[in-house]
Amino acid sequence: MRRGSKFRRKSSNIWVYFVLLMILGVCLWWKWPLWRPFNPQDLVEQSELKYKKFETDIKIVKSPLYGVSAYWMEDKTNPIVAINLKFKNSGYAYDDEKALGEAVLVAALMTEGAGELTAQQFKEELELRAITIRFDAEKDDFSVSVLTTKKNLQKAKELLSLALKRPRFDEADISRVKAQILESLKRQDEYPDSVLDREMQKELYGSHPYARNPLGEAQFLKNLTKDNLMSFVKDRFTRTNLLVSVVGDLSEAETKTLLDDVFGDLPTNGKNNFVRNAEVVFDGREKKILRGGGQNLVLKALPSVQRTDEDFYPLFVANHIWGGAGLTSKISQKIREQEGLTYGVYSYLTIDDKFQLLMVGFASTPDKFEQAENLLMEEVASFANKGISKKELDKAKDYLLASYNLRFASITNIAEILTAMQKYNLGLDFLQKRNEYIDKVSLKQVNAAVKKYFVKDKMISVKIGEF
Amino acid sequence: MKYRFLYVLALCVVLLSGNATAGFLNAEEFYLNNGMQVIVVPNHRTPIVKHMVWYRTGAADEVAGKGGSAHLLEHLMFRGTKKVPGNELNNLLEVNGASSNAFTGQDMTTYHQLLDVSRLELAMFLEADRMTNLHISDEDFATERDIVFQERKERIDNDPMGYFREAVNRALWQTHPYAKPVIGIDEEIKLLEKDDVWEYYKAKYNPSNAILVMSGDIDVDTAKKLAQKYYGNIEVNGIKNEKKFADLSEGSKVVVDMKSSHIKGFRVLKNWAAPSFATNKEDVYNLYVLAEYMGGGKTAKLYKKLVEEKKKALDVAVKYNPIARSYGVFAISVVPADDVRPEEILQELEKSWTEALEELSIDELEKTKQKMLAGLIYWRDNPEDAAYMVGAMAVAGVSLQEIEQQDAKIKAVRYKEVKKAAEKLWNDAPQVIGILRPKGDDDNA
Repeated sequence: MRRGSKFRRKSSNIWVYFVLLMILGVCLWWKWPLWRPFNPQDLVEQSELKYKKFETDIKIVKSPLYGVSAYWMEDKTNPIVAINLKFKNSGYAYDDEKALGEAVLVAALMTEGAGELTAQQFKEELELRAITIRFDAEKDDFSVSVLTTKKNLQKAKELLSLALKRPRFDEADISRVKAQILESLKRQDEYPDSVLDREMQKELYGSHPYARNPLGEAQFLKNLTKDNLMSFVKDRFTRTNLLVSVVGDLSEAETKTLLDDVFGDLPTNGKNNFVRNAEVVFDGREKKILRGGGQNLVLKALPSVQRTDEDFYPLFVANHIWGGAGLTSKISQKIREQEGLTYGVYSYLTIDDKFQLLMVGFASTPDKFEQAENLLMEEVASFANKGISKKELDKAKDYLLASYNLRFASITNIAEILTAMQKYNLGLDFLQKRNEYIDKVSLKQVNAAVKKYFVKDKMISVKIGEF
Repeated sequence: MKYRFLYVLALCVVLLSGNATAGFLNAEEFYLNNGMQVIVVPNHRTPIVKHMVWYRTGAADEVAGKGGSAHLLEHLMFRGTKKVPGNELNNLLEVNGASSNAFTGQDMTTYHQLLDVSRLELAMFLEADRMTNLHISDEDFATERDIVFQERKERIDNDPMGYFREAVNRALWQTHPYAKPVIGIDEEIKLLEKDDVWEYYKAKYNPSNAILVMSGDIDVDTAKKLAQKYYGNIEVNGIKNEKKFADLSEGSKVVVDMKSSHIKGFRVLKNWAAPSFATNKEDVYNLYVLAEYMGGGKTAKLYKKLVEEKKKALDVAVKYNPIARSYGVFAISVVPADDVRPEEILQELEKSWTEALEELSIDELEKTKQKMLAGLIYWRDNPEDAAYMVGAMAVAGVSLQEIEQQDAKIKAVRYKEVKKAAEKLWNDAPQVIGILRPKGDDDNA
């Protein structure tokens, strides 16, 4: 009994202390959020809004009359429509040798009048309805991007169709646009990064068309005539080299009509120049261009692989970890975040048709440049030696998977993705499988790719600045 | 008679549309108890969200002589807090697939992430945490100051127009805070100390001086709940920034004539300190329409006249930005044709401007408005676009109601008012003429 009562008394004291402690704990918890442990994984898992994969129901649509096919995705969120297309192998690398700049000149003139509409009338038709049609002469392809409201779709179709089939190329318009391009050519040398970029292309590709100036050459541009431009249109804008994507508030039936109406009566075949694969010798050579300015800039290149190569995903992941991730990449951590030697150091992969590169670049003031460059080269060597850890691989995969939905921010983006899927033969189910492709990449594959592609002594460097 | 009829018609259109449309964004706005403003723009196409925190403070609010402190602070906000130390914030946002960044302007400092909706709360936690718990180590401070110095070299010194732009701004803004470059000048950056940045942080970063924008796949109820959960408990430890800016003297006109070694072709521009939402709201829409009429594309008057008809220029651009806490900017830039000198293009510009104003009719005005209104629907496409727009407007003190009524406001613009606003701008507003020549250009040629 005595013992018992003693026990009871003691126990009640403990409970009082316990309750007081609890109250104190709750107060602290409430009052000083800083004391609460932070567990980011729990926070994400317990989030109100759950992960939903953006559903893409993409279909191949074939038009009934002419059999023009396109990737199509309906999206009725807003009454707007995006059309993206490419005429393959019609970019500036395919210009006639004696007509460098023709693709660029055609692209700039495509909204400067067609059919019965003069340049001003054509542009007025577009602007009054907020229809945008952009023509671009890229390296490999000639691409077109259209954005219109559903209400003005009919007009957008008519204007696009007119531009592709009956461009005017009036003398006054040709000479005005030529003068604009010539001025841009003249100004290319104003910016060090623009000089560096072109010097790099020349250093890499020599006599291959990839070495060309994306804006053409003044001597040839000046001599281009209406006839040249007309034959460009006739030869390059054909149904055989056409890739089309349609996204937005447009039914399958409406898409079929669009394809027939706009592309149906394009010529089936044309003629084009042949561009061979580029051959580049990576021998560690370096080129320096002297020029005063704020900083020294450098670009370095190594060979990479085609989009469909089996090494692509491992190398893609490796690049993300090494220099593609922004502030958290290895080279950014070392050269920017730890040493403060640059505002930005980055790497990326290019996937052009005739050659693919792993590029890296940065800029730094002349007094810091050498130190930064030495660190960068050490980072290439140590990456190749040590490879990546399982933890780094998981982190990269987490990013690549969790950022999947971000690419679908606008219908213009989605239409571009659909065209890229066609261009690189990724398959109609690519978007369903993309996360699987990333997830499948193994540590062994990545480290093999790192060893194979991050070869320090092969890097070609071009620098501009004060040395 | 005809004019009067059209006027009545226009008025009806305005009244009708004012009632009929809920607004082109269908956004909602509310305040937390600590004064934090929240704007939600639902956009349910893709399960992503743009999360932004805009502080109503920027370079214009810096202590004199401490140029660049607002921007350096922005960098240091990525260097860790007591709870989330070092570069943990960058790592966490990366493994969660976010694209994250920040920017500093004269009027605002903004931190933003685009992320999957399932990761939104993480961004909210991290953003709320660094609003009050920032930790700056001496080492990080020194490194980040070096990085900002390199940034200035990259943005200004590598750009052959960099110093020209700064000179033009100094000439236009004179003693107004907008005269100083946001990033600071070399000497200032090098002399900044940790305390400068720390005091700025303590004084300006607080919930009542912040605007939260969430644009994307989120409904207003959830947004309210989450905003309260992550930002609602931050103590009110400061006030809303209501800094008053001094008036610029009317009629000032400065010419900046510079040469630069890497420049290959002339740059000619004319900038005005123009009415903004903050200084003179009544004129904002008149000037919006004027800018579109004069230079909003390749069918606009100045392009048609100077480039296509007179062949004196290769390009003309007109930009008007009234979204500011003080004056806005109305800017014209011209690329003269190959054989045209800057002095000549300036005369031609004035001639064409005057002709264009004389030619302004009700018809022309309506056409201009149509061009501006036809594309409003595109704001509902990419959630990032709407987020940037509503955030910048909110910093400038524009109400959401006003933002939502863009179409009615534009429709209500009358051509007499546009003319009046144009004349006032051209003749009275403080202005700068900028000429940049290639080195070796002979002024008297």
